[in-house]
Amino acid sequence: MSERAAVPTIPQLSRRLLRAIAGPLLAVIISFGLGGLLMALLGRNPVEVYAVLLRGSLSGWPNIAVTLQMMTPLLFTGLAVAVAFRSGIWNIGVEGQMLMGAMAAGIAGYALDLPGPVEVPVCILAAMLGGALWAAIPALLRVHVGVNELVVCLMLNPIALLLTGYMSARVLKAPGPTNKLPDIVDAAHLTNFTLYSQLNTGLFIALACCVLVALFNAGTVRGFEWKLIGLNARFANYGGVRVRSNVIGIMLLSGAIGGLAGAEQVLGVYGAFYDNFSPGYGFDGIAVAMLANSDPIGVILSSFLFGALNSGSSVLQMELGISKYLVQVLQFIVVLILAARFTFGWSGWRPLVETAPASTLPSKLPAEQGTTEA
Amino acid sequence: MLSDIAFSSIRIATPLIFAALGGLYTFQAGILNIALDGFMIVGAFAAVAAAYATGSLTLGILAGIAASSALSVLLAVFNLRFRAHIFIAGIAVTFLAYGLTALLLKGVLGQDGVFTSARIPVFPALRIPGLVDIPVLGPLLSGHTLLVYLAYLSVPAVSWSLYRTRWGLRVRMIGEAEDAALAAGVNVEAIKFQTMVLSGVFCGLAGAYLSLGYVSLFARQMTDERGLIALAAIFFAKGRPGPTTAVALMFGIATALAVRLPEMTGAAPQLLQLIPYVVTIMALVVVGVRANRSGAHGGGWRFET
Repeated sequence: MSERAAVPTIPQLSRRLLRAIAGPLLAVIISFGLGGLLMALLGRNPVEVYAVLLRGSLSGWPNIAVTLQMMTPLLFTGLAVAVAFRSGIWNIGVEGQMLMGAMAAGIAGYALDLPGPVEVPVCILAAMLGGALWAAIPALLRVHVGVNELVVCLMLNPIALLLTGYMSARVLKAPGPTNKLPDIVDAAHLTNFTLYSQLNTGLFIALACCVLVALFNAGTVRGFEWKLIGLNARFANYGGVRVRSNVIGIMLLSGAIGGLAGAEQVLGVYGAFYDNFSPGYGFDGIAVAMLANSDPIGVILSSFLFGALNSGSSVLQMELGISKYLVQVLQFIVVLILAARFTFGWSGWRPLVETAPASTLPSKLPAEQGTTEA
Repeated sequence: MLSDIAFSSIRIATPLIFAALGGLYTFQAGILNIALDGFMIVGAFAAVAAAYATGSLTLGILAGIAASSALSVLLAVFNLRFRAHIFIAGIAVTFLAYGLTALLLKGVLGQDGVFTSARIPVFPALRIPGLVDIPVLGPLLSGHTLLVYLAYLSVPAVSWSLYRTRWGLRVRMIGEAEDAALAAGVNVEAIKFQTMVLSGVFCGLAGAYLSLGYVSLFARQMTDERGLIALAAIFFAKGRPGPTTAVALMFGIATALAVRLPEMTGAAPQLLQLIPYVVTIMALVVVGVRANRSGAHGGGWRFET
């Protein structure tokens, strides 16, 4: 017993780390291989393509600044998805939560004119509130009515897009031809610290969030409970974890982080809420979280990879005339591979064996047992 | 004016009906296939590319069906064989399809956003002799293209295959109680696979109609969430072919109004476009509340795989 409590040795740690990154690494390699094949079929030299991608994302501070800018929203959305996935809750509504958060930040940013140091935190809180409220809809329906959160999230994404579109095209439209809210006040801007991109202090907020969630996961009882819910909700319930209220908490946190993604875009990049500004950061977040295996520190690494690919892809498009959507293809090949549960004994496909999925909340949780009952 | 809207509703609903018919096969087999949009976009691209290259509409449609089915096989293999979560795999396949078609649009057809050409053949409008002469309905029902009629005529065929054949019985059995079907010796995996491929075939038709029938062009992400609206129709009508088609037609009318009403009244189109999604969530809530009241387990969990 004492051995289990001992601090792991360096070889143990490195072996654990290797095991953790082997799968994601393999998926990335396969994806790049398939992408290269695709390029070859289109008559391009894959080596050249990847060289341009690498150079366009990581050579020199200007390119790195763009990479870091691209990485920031992915950090938020990836973390938001990861928080939910870790507990077996399939929050695929981060796109909508981000839009609602962005609009909340946009409204607070122009409507409120508070003294300097208060303005930004208030706008950020508004965004977190917006995202959390939007996430509360699937969470409450899930827990109290038993409606599949996946379907509700899926439908809430276009609803959020249309609602924010309506607000920015009609209700609160700024004068002018574009569908946007009025510009935020100067005090609401996140500090931009480079001329080469829209990189702003949001990056540090995002990194801090990842570290905080990692500490929360590893160091608190609640973090452990959330992991238990993901491993086996029924077991967690019988173990005395209040699954229902925790599920709501998880979704609210996930939505609030999703809202932060919107705040960074509005307060740091655009300076106002623009209709339809997102190229799908919420869905990219799914790819980030999958690659990170829902680990907050892994989210940093995987959003750096996808941020770099995204930033390199614009250079790719300019220099070689290859569509930047190559990156989207690579990204979702990775997701597809990681979603599959390959057994590493590759020999042959398994016959149909009915195994319960690892993370399935029972449709109706038994009444929660108070700890005093016995 | 009203008949104008009705006429365009029939056209606008056509891809929704095709996609919904495809999606309801998997729905009935207990798989929630959210990749309808991805299947459609691939179908739309292949249809335009083939029609442009060969000048043949038939080959265009066939290419659309083939491409969409190939993608459905990919999803089926990952979901059924590799046990990938259907939602995650479905999202991956959808975005893979968006990305791939955008990539090929640039790489093969050399365009960035939209591809169109005078070489793409156009469907002739069919004037059906007996139909034209019916007083009010005639002008509405006649003068559509072949694929529109195919969509509406497929409805009874799909219904027949699900409710009048041994195969359909097995599909529904799997959806109702997969364990029982397995115990009864039904080859669950094979039938689920078949429903997924049928999804692909119908979505291929939907895509081909979008890019060759509805318009003659391919644009990036031209499906515009139609797969999701089709899915909403399936949910709303619980996957029964007739009602699903009716709901898809209603959503088609809402979409047609969303295009037309703002032109006339200045109303915001977004609020009409919201209808399918909001109505679906409300329907799910009603179903959930009812299930809770009757003490049965919520229906939403059938799809957790």
